[in-house]
Amino acid sequence: MTAAGPSVFLLMVNGQVESAQFPEYDDLYCKYCFVYGQDWAPTAGLEEGISQITSKSQDVRRALVWNFPIDVTFKSTNPYGWPQIVLSVYGPDVFGNDVVRGYGAVHVPFSPGRHKRTIPMFVPESTSKLQKFTSWFMGRRPEYTDPKVVAQGEGREVTRVRSQGFVTLLFNVVTKDMRKLGYDTGPPDTQGATGPSPPQGIPR
Amino acid sequence: MAEVHVIGQIMGAIGFSESSLFCKWGVHTGAAWKLLSGVREGQTQVDTPQVGDMAYWSHPIDLHFATKGLQGWPRLHLQVWSQDSFGRCQLSGYGFCHVPSSPGTHQLDCPTWRPLGSWREQLARAFVGGGPQLLHGDAIYSGADRYRLHTAAGGIVRLELGLLLRHFDRYGVEC
Repeated sequence: MTAAGPSVFLLMVNGQVESAQFPEYDDLYCKYCFVYGQDWAPTAGLEEGISQITSKSQDVRRALVWNFPIDVTFKSTNPYGWPQIVLSVYGPDVFGNDVVRGYGAVHVPFSPGRHKRTIPMFVPESTSKLQKFTSWFMGRRPEYTDPKVVAQGEGREVTRVRSQGFVTLLFNVVTKDMRKLGYDTGPPDTQGATGPSPPQGIPR
Repeated sequence: MAEVHVIGQIMGAIGFSESSLFCKWGVHTGAAWKLLSGVREGQTQVDTPQVGDMAYWSHPIDLHFATKGLQGWPRLHLQVWSQDSFGRCQLSGYGFCHVPSSPGTHQLDCPTWRPLGSWREQLARAFVGGGPQLLHGDAIYSGADRYRLHTAAGGIVRLELGLLLRHFDRYGVEC
């Protein structure tokens, strides 16, 4: 008799939130959290984190670097609901209040190997010009009550946003037993994780 | 039955003349395909870019299909609309692309087109907005009655789609 095959596969992700490009803002920190479906459960590592506050460097690059580690392992029975990492970036406004500078989300890559992802960051926009002025003045900008909304598709059709920056992430992905369960994840990603982060825009 | 997972994002759009854009998307499959989990259609947020000229949506797509045959491989169809400061929406482009058929992560650039009308309608669109739209959405992804249309190019929609296949090798399918 052959032993019963595995019913659960594991996904291990480690890496870092490397850096950000926000031309108009400085002194930023970021929070990350993972959003996943009902068939997924984290088994090890941290699901959430808050980074340090970083300022733009004095040299010509004007780089915002966090180098903030990510390390988490998930187990699941079904690839539906594949984990997404949701990032929220915050910084001070001209009055010193902490306001949101961008939300972004991306799926954790599923082919094993090293991957670099640069994701755009956007903020919700005020409905009217008066609201925009009031929120700027009072320091209470429009923000999501739960940043995990950014990882969902439903309910977004009525929101207006403004995209104003990018964050670069590096992932190392290892999976266990996906092949035994019959899944084919394709060749390792050939996007290229070497080289410096792009100064502006997403690399093609 | 073989299973297909489509996991990815509609990243954004570039090359459109208008700047506040959103996209209505849907997935059409043949009769042999069954959607087990996920939403088959949706609408993205409206984005106005501050940096550069690409509008970013980062709209997640997570679909789980079971299939008995290769016919009717899923097709993603898109309608890009722009919204002006008064809240009016105007069509900017239609496009479709097949979901990739090899496993792994793929960067896709989907070109779009919009129907041109008569010269009167084009003039009206330039001044007042509006313009002709398709009555039935299936002309976007089917070739049946396309010969009747006269269209102009719109911008490009960028997608990053990852494909996970299960049990395809059991049935001898190579992809």
